[in-house]
Amino acid sequence: MSLINKKLSRRRFLGMSSCTLATAVVGSQVKVLHALAKNGDVTTPQRGKDDDVFTSCGMCVNKCGVIARVRNGVIEKLDPNPNFIKSRAMLCARGNAGVGVVYDPDRLKYPLIRTGKRGEGKFRRAGWKEALDLVAKKMNEVAEKYTRAGVMFASTEGTYQDHFFMQLAECFGSPNNVRHPTLCLSSNIQGFMATFGTNPTPDVLNADYIIMSGANRSEALITPDSIDMLKGDGGRRKLIYLDPRFTKTAAKADQWYPIKAGTDLAFVLAMINVIVNEGLYNRTFVKENCVGFDKLVPHVRSYTPEWAERECEIPAADIRRIAREFALAAPKAIYYHGRRSSFMANDTQLRRGIAILNAIIGNWDVKGGMVPNSRIKIGRHDYLAPWYDDVPDRLDAGSVAYLSENDGAWVPFRDRVLAGKPYPVKGMMVYKQNVLASVPDRARSLKMMDQMDFICTIDITMSDTAWYSDVVLPEATYLERQDPLESIGGILPVVVWRQPCIKAMFESKPNIWIMKEIAKRLGNEVAEQFQFTIEEVIQTQVKGQPQILKALQTQGVYYEKTDPTYGRTLGKRLRTKSGKVEIYSEKYAKKGLDPLPVYEAPKTTPAGKYRLLVGRHAFFTHGTTSNNPYLNAIMPENTLWLNTEEARRRGLQNGMRVTVRSEVGAQTLKLEVTDKIRPDCVYMAHGFGVLSKGLRTVYGKGGCDAALIGSSYDKISGNAALHETFVQIERA
Amino acid sequence: MKKDKRYAIVLDTRRCIDCKACTVACKTENNVPLPEDTCRNWVTEEPLRGSYPNLGQSFAPSQCNQCENPPCNSVCPTSATGITEGGIVTVNPDKCIGCKYCMLACPYDARYYNEETGAIDKCTFCIQRLAVGRIPACVETCPTKVRTFGDLNDPCSEVSILLAKNRHRVLKPELGTKPFLFYLI
Repeated sequence: MSLINKKLSRRRFLGMSSCTLATAVVGSQVKVLHALAKNGDVTTPQRGKDDDVFTSCGMCVNKCGVIARVRNGVIEKLDPNPNFIKSRAMLCARGNAGVGVVYDPDRLKYPLIRTGKRGEGKFRRAGWKEALDLVAKKMNEVAEKYTRAGVMFASTEGTYQDHFFMQLAECFGSPNNVRHPTLCLSSNIQGFMATFGTNPTPDVLNADYIIMSGANRSEALITPDSIDMLKGDGGRRKLIYLDPRFTKTAAKADQWYPIKAGTDLAFVLAMINVIVNEGLYNRTFVKENCVGFDKLVPHVRSYTPEWAERECEIPAADIRRIAREFALAAPKAIYYHGRRSSFMANDTQLRRGIAILNAIIGNWDVKGGMVPNSRIKIGRHDYLAPWYDDVPDRLDAGSVAYLSENDGAWVPFRDRVLAGKPYPVKGMMVYKQNVLASVPDRARSLKMMDQMDFICTIDITMSDTAWYSDVVLPEATYLERQDPLESIGGILPVVVWRQPCIKAMFESKPNIWIMKEIAKRLGNEVAEQFQFTIEEVIQTQVKGQPQILKALQTQGVYYEKTDPTYGRTLGKRLRTKSGKVEIYSEKYAKKGLDPLPVYEAPKTTPAGKYRLLVGRHAFFTHGTTSNNPYLNAIMPENTLWLNTEEARRRGLQNGMRVTVRSEVGAQTLKLEVTDKIRPDCVYMAHGFGVLSKGLRTVYGKGGCDAALIGSSYDKISGNAALHETFVQIERA
Repeated sequence: MKKDKRYAIVLDTRRCIDCKACTVACKTENNVPLPEDTCRNWVTEEPLRGSYPNLGQSFAPSQCNQCENPPCNSVCPTSATGITEGGIVTVNPDKCIGCKYCMLACPYDARYYNEETGAIDKCTFCIQRLAVGRIPACVETCPTKVRTFGDLNDPCSEVSILLAKNRHRVLKPELGTKPFLFYLI
C-alpha cells in the first residue's frame, strides 16, 4: 500500500502548521512578483493581456513545444503543445518548472561588476553602458597584449541565441570557442560518423529489440526516445539494459545486467563474434553496403562470449542468447548508442563497436533500425567575419585525432590554457555554460579562471561560473525573448522558435542585444557584421517559405511529414570516404588509430577504492536547474550511492555524511545505502555542491561531481571520460 | 437521454518512469505550495523487490480518488467539502476552517493543508480546466501517458473502454469508499 504511504509524513504536520510557514515557499507566480516588488526588484507586478503563446522549451536540449498561458501579463502555466510531434505532446517536470525560471528571486536582475576578490561574491550593480564598455575594453586589451585568440568563448547550446555569441567570437577574431560536445556526445558522433558518415537516430518507436548501454532514458530524458521506449510495436518489444546502476530505466527493462563499468565494448564485441560465427548477419547488406567485413571476422575471433564474461561479468550464455535474439529481431533491432557518451577514455571505439554491430544486422535506414536524420532546410543568417592576420590556430589544435573546430575539446583546451602553451589565453567570455559545474576537475577550472585577466559571463542566474566572473550580464530568459528559428533534425524533423511570452523582467536583455552592443564597442569592422535585427534574421530564415512562419505562429511548430521516410540513403553513397558503411576504417588506420575496435580493459579499481559514476536524472539539466524551486523541492540534495553489502562490510550507515576523496578533490555528502549499484562503484547525481551563494536554494546542499572527476579524455574525439575516477570514502 | 458525467482517471502504472512531470504540472496549475508534503498528486517509489543483482521496482502515481462515498465529506463540520458535477470532491476554502478532520478521515492521504490559503486543498481533476474543455494538467503533461481521463457514464469514452478491456483494481475497496481512480493490473 505504498501508494498512500505519504500518510505518515503528512500526519506529522497535523496541528503544527504554523511552524512550517517560514519554509513554505509560495506556489503562485503572482505572489513571487509581489514579494519581488516589496524588495524593490520590480516596481509593481506586471499587468498585461491574456494570451496563449506558442514557444519552445529552454530547460534542456530537447526543445519541446510549449504553450505559455499568460494571464494579466503573468505566465501562469506552461502546457505541452499538442502539435509538437517530436516530444509526443508532453512536457516533463523541468518543462513545467520553467515558470520558476522567470519568477526566480535568484535571477540576475541587472549587470554586475565584481568589487571583491574572485569568488568572494562581492559585486556592485552597474548600468548596462558601464558594464558593456568595460567588457569591450578588456577584450581589446587582451587582444592587444596577446592576440585575438587570447580571448576564449565558452558557449551553451539550445538557446537559439548561442549563434550570435559564436558570431561574436568569429568576428572578434578568436578561433577559441569551446562548447559542450566534448563533455557529452562527441565520441558518439565520432564513432558513428567514422562508420556511417553521419550520426543516425535509432527508431525506438518501431524497434522490437533494444539494447541500451548506460543510456538511462527514463531519467536522462531524450524526446521522443524516452517516451517511445515504453511503447513498442505491437507489444513485441524487448528492452535489454546494461548499467552498473539499477536506474529507473533498469526498472522498465525486460532484463537488467549490472555490467562492470567500462567493459561495454567486451559485450559488444562478443555479440559481434556470435553473430559472425553463427552466420546471423545480413549477408546482402554486408556485401552490398559495407567495407571491411572480411577484416572483422578474424578481428573478433578471440572475443568470445566466454572471454567477455570474464571482462564484463555478464554470463556467456546470456551474451550468446542476446546476440541471437538481436539478430533474429533484425532489422527491427537496435543497439542504442545513447547521447552522453563521456564514459571512458576509449569511448569512441565503443561507439564504433556499437555502430558495426548495428551495421552487420542490416538495420541501416529501415523501420525500427538506425535512421539517418532528416532536416528541414531553412535560410542561413550569414555574415562576413573580418580577417585578422596575426591570429593563430585553435589553442587545442592537434590535441586529439579529430577535433571539432566549432566545439573544441574542453579538457585538453584547459590543460593548454594552464600551460600557457602554445600561447596565452587571458580573456574568457562565457555564454550560459556553467564551466565550473560541467568540466571535470573543478580545481583545475578554477586555476584556469584564476589566470585570466578578464572574465565576463552572460547568464540568467548566478551560476558558479558567473560567481567567479568579473562582469556578469543578465540575459532575458527563454520565455521573455524572440529567438530565431531552429531546425531540429531527426526521424521526424521539425522547425521551432521562441516568442516572448512577457516583456523581459528587470534589466535583462536578449543575447542578440548584448552581442550587438559589445560588437558596437569593439570597432567598426565587428560592428558592421551586427547590423541586423532579430526580425531580419527570421525573415532570412523563412525566405521563400512563408508557410514556416505561419505554422510557427498558428501551431508553434513546423513539420512537413508525420510519417517517417525510410531508405533515403539506401543504394546511395554515404558520406564516408568509400561511400559505404566502413566496418574497417581506413581513415583511422592512416592516423595510426585502431581501424577496428580493440578492447581495452578498464583500469583495475585499487583496493579500498570505488569507481565513481555520475549520471543525469529527470529533474535537473546539468549544472543549471538545481536551484529551480519546483525542481529542488523534488530533490533538494544529491547523495552518494553505496551498495548495501559493501556498506555493511565497511560499517557505514544510510544517511550518514561521508567524505568522498579522489586524486583531485574531496566532497562531503549524505550516504545512500542501496542495492541499486554494483559493490565496486559509487554514484552521485550531477548539479549539486555549488560554490555560488547566489543560488540560495541549492547552496550548501550535496556534493559536486566535477570537483572529484579527474582530467581523463578520449584521445580520438576529445570527449571527457567521466567514469575513469577512483574515490575512497570515509565518515565525515 | 443525456446522463450526468462521472469523471474518472485510469492509470497504467507500468508506464510510469517516476519523472514527476505530473507533480510539477499540478503545482504550477493549481498554485500548490512547493514542499514535497504539500501536493495534490504524487509518485511513490515502491520498495525494491529482490536483492542485488536481481531487482525490480515499480512507481506508483496517485491523487484523490474522487470517491463516491468520500469519508472526508461526512466529517467536515462546516460543509466546506462537497461533491460537485461529475463526482468531483471539492473544498470551499472560504468555508474551510482548517480543522484537518478530513485529512485524518481520508484513507488515501489525498488532502493537505495549504498554508497560503489557510484551507485544506486537494485534487479537483483540474476543475478549472474541465470548465473550458481541457483535461487535467497531470493527464496532459505525462510523457508516457500513464493517466487517461474521461467520463465513465459515456460507454464510448476512453476510460470506459480501458476498464472494459483490462483487468483493474481500486485502492482499499474494503472501505466502501467507491474510488474513481482505477489502476490497470
